[in-house]
Amino acid sequence: MDLSKRCEDVPTLEVRNLTRFFGGVAAVKDVSIAFPPKRITALIGPNGAGKTTLFNLICGYIAPTRGEILLGHQSLRGLKPWQIARLGIGRLFQDVRVFGKLTALENVLVAFPNQVGERFWEPVVRRAQTLKMQRQNVERAMALLELVCLADRANTTAENLSYGQQKLLAIARLLAMDAKILLLDEPASGVHPAVLETVMNLMTSLAKQGRTVVFIEHNISVVLEVAHWVYVLDDGEVVAFGLPDEVIHDRVTREVYLGV
Amino acid sequence: MNYLFHILVMIGIYVILTQSLNLVMGYTGLLSVCHAAFYGIGAYASTLLMTGWGVNFFVALPIAVIVSVLLSFVVSIPSLRLKGDYFVLATLGFQAIIFGIMYNWVSFTRGPYGIPGIPIPTLFGFAFDSPASYTLLSLGLAALVVTFIYLITSSQFGRVLKAIREDEIATQALGRNTVLFKTTAFALGAGIAAIAGSLYAGYVRYIDPTSFTVAESLFLVTILAIGGSGNIQGPVVGTIILVLLPEVLRFLRIPDTIAPNIRMMLYALALILVVIYRPRGIAGEYGFE
Repeated sequence: MDLSKRCEDVPTLEVRNLTRFFGGVAAVKDVSIAFPPKRITALIGPNGAGKTTLFNLICGYIAPTRGEILLGHQSLRGLKPWQIARLGIGRLFQDVRVFGKLTALENVLVAFPNQVGERFWEPVVRRAQTLKMQRQNVERAMALLELVCLADRANTTAENLSYGQQKLLAIARLLAMDAKILLLDEPASGVHPAVLETVMNLMTSLAKQGRTVVFIEHNISVVLEVAHWVYVLDDGEVVAFGLPDEVIHDRVTREVYLGV
Repeated sequence: MNYLFHILVMIGIYVILTQSLNLVMGYTGLLSVCHAAFYGIGAYASTLLMTGWGVNFFVALPIAVIVSVLLSFVVSIPSLRLKGDYFVLATLGFQAIIFGIMYNWVSFTRGPYGIPGIPIPTLFGFAFDSPASYTLLSLGLAALVVTFIYLITSSQFGRVLKAIREDEIATQALGRNTVLFKTTAFALGAGIAAIAGSLYAGYVRYIDPTSFTVAESLFLVTILAIGGSGNIQGPVVGTIILVLLPEVLRFLRIPDTIAPNIRMMLYALALILVVIYRPRGIAGEYGFE
């Protein structure tokens, strides 16, 4: 995959007055944020602040109690997670969720959209086209694994990769599905410093390409290093936002998040 | 020699059954205990067409497949949104309903009396009336089924099924309509099981509901657990072992009064040993949890 290639016409992802109650508790309360393309946005806040819930709402895993989620002018409310994914919104889960018994190569191959051979009759009726596309996709998948430094582990089952490698593999899957908007839930947590550098370089390159990168992170140095814009959430609400340097030194942020 | 042909015919029928269950269980990760119901639907549909309307076996067979596929939607559309134990319970319920219909709708299925006199399959004037010719038919259809399942599971379709088995939420996040894939796999499994049912009916020429009980469904699950699932060879190995096991006992001259009980004990022992020492089965890829 060529990361210098421009990724054009990525629509802005926006949530407006997004609210989600669980029983009487508001996990997300009147959150309004726009995530424009080419920008890396960080969501920070203490545990239970509603960051992952916000991702779950955007991706359609839970329905909002009220509010709107827009991709450009299109509302995402009522769409199923797979329909939202097909619109180009890719999600890296906090617990990674690689397909453990599939090899790294197979994990990436699954992610390519619109493949010949995906409907059950095609491998039988359109055998030649299926095999041709499979060969092409193996090449593309190997290029992606190369990009995330996993080419030499292509035939290793995902369950036998380290945690950091699994995160890289999950990012390679997002690139294979050609996600224009990447929602990354704690991409830097629990990974080796060398892997962390690869992850941060990837995030920066993807944003430069024109994609939207949104990430949840507890590692403040990573936020300061890669984020263009930061939102601080607490108790389901946005309590501060701005440039990383400003936000980190903001009094409210230090109170709710850093506890100082 | 006829005895050997009989064993080969049964291996062919059970390879078709276990390969079709493998698609649902080994590749998609859905534990289904209603596979004998689809086996029975195939047997009854083709039998009723042949005995009631004089339809040729090779015309009745695809119709039986279609009937089985359509009935699979009755269980899959409402229950594939269910997960884990609840899905198993839904399939158990379907198995009980289908058995109940076979057993109690006497005017249609002749219930416990069964249906005798099923015609011998014929193709362009050739009758599959000898053990050797039926062996050819059984193993030929089994080979076609194995080839078909190999082709579809070694492609992107099969990879997505395996991905669903591993993590359905992550598969949805990659833009796959997992309910559609699961419904398709379940329908294919049901349709292929109906081929085995038709083949069985044409072979024994008499069917009754006792061949299609929940015990038969559990036997098929046991074959996959012992042989292994998630690849092509596991179900074949399991079928050969468990179809041959009763025959081995026969040679040990164990009295008929206790042979079935000993067979059940051996199945249970084999299952326990495999679960403890080889969760993926003897030749399988996927360890069903």
